[in-house]
Amino acid sequence: MAHTAATNDESKLIELSLSGDPEAYAALVRSHQKMIRAITFRMTGSPDDAEELAQDAFVRAYRHLASFNGHSKFSTWLCKIAINLSLDWRRRENRRDNLHSQWAAETASENNPGAGFPDELSRRVQAALDRLPAKQRAAIVLTIYENQSHAEAAKTLGCAETAVSWRVFAARRRLKRLLKDLPHE
Amino acid sequence: MNKNELDSILKKARLPEIAEDSLEMFPRRVVARLNRNDPPPRAARSFLPRLAWIAVLAACAAIAFAIGQWRGRMETSAIPATDTLASAKLIHEMMAMFPNQIRAIVQDDSGLKLVLSDTGDVPASPPLYVRICDGQHCSSFVTFSGQEIQVDGQTITVLSDRRGGIILAGTQFVWSSTERSPAAGHLKIEAKNLAFVAM
Repeated sequence: MAHTAATNDESKLIELSLSGDPEAYAALVRSHQKMIRAITFRMTGSPDDAEELAQDAFVRAYRHLASFNGHSKFSTWLCKIAINLSLDWRRRENRRDNLHSQWAAETASENNPGAGFPDELSRRVQAALDRLPAKQRAAIVLTIYENQSHAEAAKTLGCAETAVSWRVFAARRRLKRLLKDLPHE
Repeated sequence: MNKNELDSILKKARLPEIAEDSLEMFPRRVVARLNRNDPPPRAARSFLPRLAWIAVLAACAAIAFAIGQWRGRMETSAIPATDTLASAKLIHEMMAMFPNQIRAIVQDDSGLKLVLSDTGDVPASPPLYVRICDGQHCSSFVTFSGQEIQVDGQTITVLSDRRGGIILAGTQFVWSSTERSPAAGHLKIEAKNLAFVAM
């Protein structure tokens, strides 16, 4: 049997999904939804948009499931879809109403104490992420929260490794400024 | 705050808790959307007949060939494809990130480096690409007219003229992109005004 990065159970669920079994695909969604919703939330800063984008990601993944070749982990493949949908979403938002989205991004977390963050540090970090340009935010989400190397993040984002390194560098520079008053060890 | 301290803060940040019922309902919502909108993946895969794919590929090849021909006319010599600084996207992104601060973006054996002005006093002007090889090592730069770069222990001033020509003035030579005679000692130089190059 050929070795694949997906687990046996996962491979079986993918196979069943490909044959049109919705329960099998629901099981795949169930096991990966937290990761995908975390990515889309970090990228949008909005629970509603995050949920919608996560749904879009799973729908797109289903449509292209036949092209998943098992050379990477299924979760990595899903992550790539989710992050690129989030970037497309941000571009659309910017085009539609640049001023509004900028304002919304900058104030969403700051003016919304009911956003449900467990503590002040978490709220401040998300507010700082919201102020990064989308590509820099994506680079931080992948390298810090998804623990991808710069090379892996470059594959996910479809750009050069050096571009990821620069984005991470620039993002860190800005985040340090935005979070300088937080206590650190 | 250093890099590790920043990473530690970022990793400590947690997300808002997702309600149990939302987690429960989410897969059903996805499946409901699939039932509403999407054919099964295998059916979707056979959507385009083979002939249509061949036509699409042929059109792409024709477009790529046309672009190649057009670029060939635009450029007299090609920037090396492996040179990261040949990426217009990256350069424009860097310029947007650090407006009026970039003195030079440097790529050499040790990787990419950014030389920034502390005061943001670099005048806005078209980016200039310079590649200098000393026989063993090559360094590439994207910089601006009036800026200085360091190569092989020399300080070289980079200038551009009104017609897009580039002049490099080192301590031991002056080199011009518009003249054929390379009076730059053992250095091999290539330079382009990126405002005139379709990358």
